[in-house]
Amino acid sequence: MAATVKVMRRPEPGETSYMRATLKGMALTFKHLVNPNKVTRQYPEEQPDLSPRWRGTHRMEVHADGRPKCVACGLCPTVCPANCIRLVGGEDDQGNRYPIVYEIDEFRCIFCGMCQEVCPVEAIHVGVHFENAEYTRERFVYDLDRLMEQDHPSTLLWDPSDPRSE
Amino acid sequence: MAFWVTSSLKVFVVFSVLLAVVAFMTLAERRISAFIQDRRGPNRVGPFGILQPVADGIKNILKEETMPATANRTFFVLAPALAIVPAMLTFAVVPFAAPLVTPWGTVGMVIADIPIGILYILALASLGVYGLFLAGWASNNKYAFLGGVRSASQMVSYEVALGLSIIPVLMLTGNVTLTEMVWQQQQMGFWFVFPLSLAFVLFVISAFAETNRLPFDLPEAESELVTGYHTEYSSMKFSMFFIAEYSHILTAAALMATLFLGGWSIPLWSGDHLFWYEGMLISGFTQAGEPVAADPGWWVTLLTFLSFALKTAFFVLVFMWVRWTLPRFRYDQVMHLGWKVMLPIALGYVMGLAATVLVLDQLGVEGFLFGAILTAVSALATAIFVFVVDRGRLIAGAAVTGTDREVRSPVRRVQRPALEGSSGGAPGS
Amino acid sequence: MAENSQTPESVTLTIDGQEVTVPKGTTILQAAETLGNRIPHYCYHPGLSAPAQCRLCLVEVEGAPKLQPSCITEVRDDQVVLTESEEATRQRKGVLEFYLANHPLDCPICDQSGECKLQDYVHAEGRKHGRSREPKRVFGRDDFGGDILFYGDRCVMCTRCVRFMNEMSQDPRLTVVERGNRSIIDTFFEEGVEGSPYAGNIVDICPVGALVSKDFLHKARAWDLDHKPTICPNCSQGCNIDLHVRDNRVQRLKPRANLEVNQYWMCDYGRHRYEWMNRDDRIGTPLVNRSGTQVAEDWPGALKTLSGRLEVGVRPVKAVASPFASNEDLAALRRLVDGLGGGEIVYRLPRADREIPLPGFPKLSRRKDLAPNGRGAEILGMERVGDEDGSGGLDEFSGYTGTIIVLGDELADQEPSFGEQAALYLYMGAHPTSAATQADYLLPTTTHAEQEGTFTNYEGRVQRFWPGLQGPGVARPAWLVLSALAARINGGPVPTSAAEAFMQAAEIAPEFQGLAYDSIGTRGALINEPVALPGS
Repeated sequence: MAATVKVMRRPEPGETSYMRATLKGMALTFKHLVNPNKVTRQYPEEQPDLSPRWRGTHRMEVHADGRPKCVACGLCPTVCPANCIRLVGGEDDQGNRYPIVYEIDEFRCIFCGMCQEVCPVEAIHVGVHFENAEYTRERFVYDLDRLMEQDHPSTLLWDPSDPRSE
Repeated sequence: MAFWVTSSLKVFVVFSVLLAVVAFMTLAERRISAFIQDRRGPNRVGPFGILQPVADGIKNILKEETMPATANRTFFVLAPALAIVPAMLTFAVVPFAAPLVTPWGTVGMVIADIPIGILYILALASLGVYGLFLAGWASNNKYAFLGGVRSASQMVSYEVALGLSIIPVLMLTGNVTLTEMVWQQQQMGFWFVFPLSLAFVLFVISAFAETNRLPFDLPEAESELVTGYHTEYSSMKFSMFFIAEYSHILTAAALMATLFLGGWSIPLWSGDHLFWYEGMLISGFTQAGEPVAADPGWWVTLLTFLSFALKTAFFVLVFMWVRWTLPRFRYDQVMHLGWKVMLPIALGYVMGLAATVLVLDQLGVEGFLFGAILTAVSALATAIFVFVVDRGRLIAGAAVTGTDREVRSPVRRVQRPALEGSSGGAPGS
Repeated sequence: MAENSQTPESVTLTIDGQEVTVPKGTTILQAAETLGNRIPHYCYHPGLSAPAQCRLCLVEVEGAPKLQPSCITEVRDDQVVLTESEEATRQRKGVLEFYLANHPLDCPICDQSGECKLQDYVHAEGRKHGRSREPKRVFGRDDFGGDILFYGDRCVMCTRCVRFMNEMSQDPRLTVVERGNRSIIDTFFEEGVEGSPYAGNIVDICPVGALVSKDFLHKARAWDLDHKPTICPNCSQGCNIDLHVRDNRVQRLKPRANLEVNQYWMCDYGRHRYEWMNRDDRIGTPLVNRSGTQVAEDWPGALKTLSGRLEVGVRPVKAVASPFASNEDLAALRRLVDGLGGGEIVYRLPRADREIPLPGFPKLSRRKDLAPNGRGAEILGMERVGDEDGSGGLDEFSGYTGTIIVLGDELADQEPSFGEQAALYLYMGAHPTSAATQADYLLPTTTHAEQEGTFTNYEGRVQRFWPGLQGPGVARPAWLVLSALAARINGGPVPTSAAEAFMQAAEIAPEFQGLAYDSIGTRGALINEPVALPGS
């Protein structure tokens, strides 16, 4: 489609009428005043439908025996553009590499989802969740236990039926 | 003794009701603005958000008071009081119902039916500007100061038009007492809005400007001045400005109802024709001019109060309705409108109407016919105002300033030296 | 170029279209490296023999019937070598696929990840997906003793570790057992490499994550580590090392190649002594003794009163220096003491009872002197006192009534009453110590890991080191503090950098004359004739 220019015609001085424009405007606002269709969502009662690709606060997947799936490979703190992940790796009693410390500062996090994308063992996920209010700032640094306790669904970073976004 | 008892009782009741109504007006404003924008507005505190004003009040009382280090402390504290007191006092002379007959005597439903009613209102309305201007000046803040300056000049400008738009009402009533204005409208059978339609239009516009409501809220002008004169105010001091503004609106709405919509009178019903005439309550005069005594039931007072409340509420609604419809004027537009449009039109209208009344009096026309002829004359004036004057001249928008001789900037005619190196160069350089 | 090619020992050949002239006897791989062309290899290591068994460095040589292993093929005149030809690339791709056939690809949990040659080569040239459908053979993990852990699955059988133990340590502890794809590195006896003093090097030379350090296990990712060049401070050998730093903490030490000093190796004794650099108990601010209590003071205030008291103090000055301090620090102390009319400067140096040489390169040895700069202190006219374990020898100092200056020595063997009778007791160090409780001035200095400077090693080689850590609070290098004091007392300029401080050191130590930081460079400079190797 070729680009076109829409020429706006400005009214000449003698053509405008402020009083009539005012009344027209008031008629319009009155129509909305009595319009029963409201756009407000009554939030706590009506929950919003989050997209399956919504990127909210994180959760850590766990094995059946309750251990975190994370192997402390260090890719998520490396890829994290906000530097919000602190990770100290170690070895557990079964000789498996696991995170001794795994902390995500949800205040620093920009929810890009790259940690989930880079994770080689599908352990860390951004979640379909947004109700994060806390009483202290410290509570926003989620430690490993907190991340493992989260029970909201994980985000699908792509649509499984349309993996290439076509 | 009875005077003191009834007066203090009335002061107490009216003051309480006034404050309560002002509180609920804030809720109404928020709900109406929400509805106009297809939102729901505050509906969480109490049923339908009824208790929202209480929550707001508690919040404002509990909030921290701040005062700028460089503010003038005396005037900074004084300003909110100066803003709120005149706004509250104005209501004292507004009659809000028919007189109530009680076993202990007849009680007028007005706090003070003083003989200089409308002058008292004009005087107190002028005092309100001190509060705003002092607030702006004492804050020692450029935004607050600009807001204060604007409020002063704007209110002074529109007081002229406001006063002139009331003069036709005074011409018809021949008095400045508000109770008598109600009585005269009942007697004529016309609300003054019909015979004095242009005065009504001018009064409404001026009242908007006087109360600093959109489209005339330049003293606040969030987009330019943060919040204008009360930028530096917090907590209850801020609330006092808020209460003052809404009291002003309420008073202005009540005045519109009283001056032009018959006050507490119920339309098309003569049962409420009541007037305190030379020490007795009368319902009218006989053909011979003898007063007819009246003895209304208490329910008449109640009905008339409802009538008054409805009319006032309608104008309050109009205030809010207009606020959420119209954008703010430019400052030069406000001054242009006030001095170059409203003032000459009001003057011309007063003179034209005075001439008409004089002619009609000479011809001996009275009663209904008198009103009908005035209605026709005013309708003509209003039509001229709306269809001839309001042709891009009432408010000159930015788009038409190029051809509007009055607004055209003289700066454009200044010869500028040609820029060096510019191709071509200015002719004649 | 033309001039060189006429000398009989030089050979000129063409590698990937680039002409290069190298000495006769050079291999193609080394010749390519002079051009910056690093041919992939596993089994070849410059410090070890080349068995040519990894088959990854095969290159095409025009005229040769098949691909040649570049690590052992010597260059010849007019040879034309193609390292990136289709045949060579195809060959490498195939070899890498075989390597990955049994590799567990556990990069996420592998400590080598990020510095792994297999990762690098496969990313550069390997197949995107393996085609092998056989189950991978599994060995699991084996404890090789000492600091060494062995992950058999990751091994690529380059046998560098076996050859290091055989050729360099000359202490054969490892061998290859089994054959074919079941072949694996193993130890002869239960103790593995336990007790072998240079075994830590096999972790460094392992190109993959098969041999890892227990000390470093899961501690940090390779890409998070900053490599800070420095000198090992644990003996007078002066091995060139890198501090691997993360979050301002040393995570491990790695040798830095210097063919004159330590080749590619370092001993386990030095390798595991780095925790003191991470100590958190530090003197954070200058402390001044005011009627019995040490109170914090800022540098200008402390230096002002201190210089005044030094100037009028009781002479002669007695000073205790530390052989862990740099040449610059020691020279600045010497200047200050000389400026105060001269005085005795002593140092104490712990000494081991024997040296621990690396048999394959006897010039590298854990020396008896367990401090990096005893030679520097000696050059600057300081006297060694005390016992072999670095204690004692300070009887004249502890009760001295004049001016005492202590630089760096923690005086661990001294009573808290040390310097109680001194008219002025100045203690400069990094860590608080009980022997400094009586100090009139307690000035925080940086450790050698936190500052720039030079050490002089046992053979008189002046070597530079660079700061690797961020010092705490207002700690300053000792040379800066001492020079500032000297300048307040005797005038003269205050050096603004370690390089300038070294130039000032050269003024009072003739051995250092003619040297400068630029000429020392990263390889060091000798201040005397090379010392003959024992036995050579």
